[in-house]
Amino acid sequence: MGDFNIFHHMPWSSTYSIYFFTIGISAALFFMSTLSWYREEFRPLRASAFYLSFVLLAISGLLLISDLSKPARFLNIMNPAYLNFTSPLAWGGLNLLSFGAVSVAYFFMMRKNDEGTSRKLAVLGSLLALGLPIYTGFDLTVHQNRPVWNTPLMPILFVALSLVSGAAVASFLAGGKSEKLHVMLRRFMLWSAGAVGAMLISLLGTTAYGGSGQELTFMFMTSGALGGIFIGVGILLGTAAPILLLLAPFGRQQGGMMLAALLLLVGGMALRYSILVGGQIVQTYF
Amino acid sequence: MSELRLSSIETRGVPGKKRYAMVIDLRRCIGCDACMTACKAEFDVPVGVFRTWVPYRVVGTYPNVRKHFMPRLCNHCDDPPCVRACPVGATYKVEDGGFVLQHYDRCIGCKACMASCPYNARFMLPKSRTYTDITSVVDKCTFCHHRVTQGLAPACVVTCIGRARIFGDLNDPASEVSRLVSTLPTQVLRPEEGTKPHVFYIGLDRHNSEFGRAVYSPLEVLEEDRQAFNKNHGA
Ligand code: SF4
Ligand code: SF4
Repeated sequence: MGDFNIFHHMPWSSTYSIYFFTIGISAALFFMSTLSWYREEFRPLRASAFYLSFVLLAISGLLLISDLSKPARFLNIMNPAYLNFTSPLAWGGLNLLSFGAVSVAYFFMMRKNDEGTSRKLAVLGSLLALGLPIYTGFDLTVHQNRPVWNTPLMPILFVALSLVSGAAVASFLAGGKSEKLHVMLRRFMLWSAGAVGAMLISLLGTTAYGGSGQELTFMFMTSGALGGIFIGVGILLGTAAPILLLLAPFGRQQGGMMLAALLLLVGGMALRYSILVGGQIVQTYF
Repeated sequence: MSELRLSSIETRGVPGKKRYAMVIDLRRCIGCDACMTACKAEFDVPVGVFRTWVPYRVVGTYPNVRKHFMPRLCNHCDDPPCVRACPVGATYKVEDGGFVLQHYDRCIGCKACMASCPYNARFMLPKSRTYTDITSVVDKCTFCHHRVTQGLAPACVVTCIGRARIFGDLNDPASEVSRLVSTLPTQVLRPEEGTKPHVFYIGLDRHNSEFGRAVYSPLEVLEEDRQAFNKNHGA
């Protein structure tokens, strides 16, 4: 209705976008630690990336629980009598728990210097880590009534966002330790940011040319305050600028790469926030 | 083909099962809000949230203007996205009758059901309430399950002064709702979402029920109301 006397809220607050950000980084850092068993250049990241991944996993869990209106009931999500497998949240809860369990086991095996088991756990953990951005994408995709969210792109976009933000954090962890690692992380950032950019272009296209709700959402996301965050910070400053920077000679040096990493992190947060909020604005008027 | 036509959760047209529905005749609604009040009284619905509400739009050109009312409530969808979105089965559908209800003691408050309902039919209960101890969980219209199962009509239906709300079993061809739905042109809200809503409107002008460009540039005075509402309701 155009005129109204009752107003509606957005159900999912910005806390979720912080969660998307931290869990995405946690997943990608675990993957970097796994790579260290197979690619020598990632060796300096094995322990540091894993520890930070674990800390971020704990923070993400706390964020998720604190956003529930009944935080003490979060255990319900592990109750087999309650679990509803048509909900991506149920899968996500199990994915998070199993990722946490594998991370703990990985920690102990690394401490014991048990290389064989550590490798196996690293691979298993990486597969579970891949599930985290995928399920967060599905969390949004399944809501058929929400513009922007309801596209098959979301799970893949979240995987790319996870890689880009994770590689950016990893480049800070790596510092100037190894030239080869430096080259690899630059490539990671470049390719995943490129993938994010390509997906955003198609997302913008389909949203702008969509039905009435989508078209209005496009207008909200490209103008006003949200337009500043989405287009200005997310796309231009946080995706396009770092890609150009990484391609320029300065981007191959450590200082340039750090600057690009910082921009990618800011952009990654802005994109997650605007996608979360953007999908909810129009319906508050229905 | 019939097994392909219905998803397993749907009960419309299933022999031996009831499928309750509401018909709202917009030609009869005078916007008195008695239904909202009756619902508030029936369920101790807290201030600022509603199980049923009556939005309006002013149509026409001055001096020939009128308010077009559109009572709203949960559509007790036959294929409800809120049920499939709930990770802990706290939202469920009663097969015989089609009521979509809540297990209040199970709800963790993740708000996935609110995100998935295309109709804004769900809301979060406040942290404290004076007379009822169900707090901080999601709530919504129950189609007055407790009354209907005792042979009574929902509170809003009983109280409607214009008899704009009619309630009954759509699987019973002799019921008034069946007769109305089969003989008059009716519309449901947002049918394209595939939810198969079971609140049918007579006289609904889709032009008035859709988002429209008014969303993008709402009247200033309404935007002020909206901001004041959000400020007072913790948005
Ligand atoms: S109207 Fe919303 S809350 Fe009610 S059954 Fe349909 S999807 Fe669920
Ligand atoms: S808020 Fe409650 S009822 Fe809604 S999806 Fe979450 S657990 Fe289910």
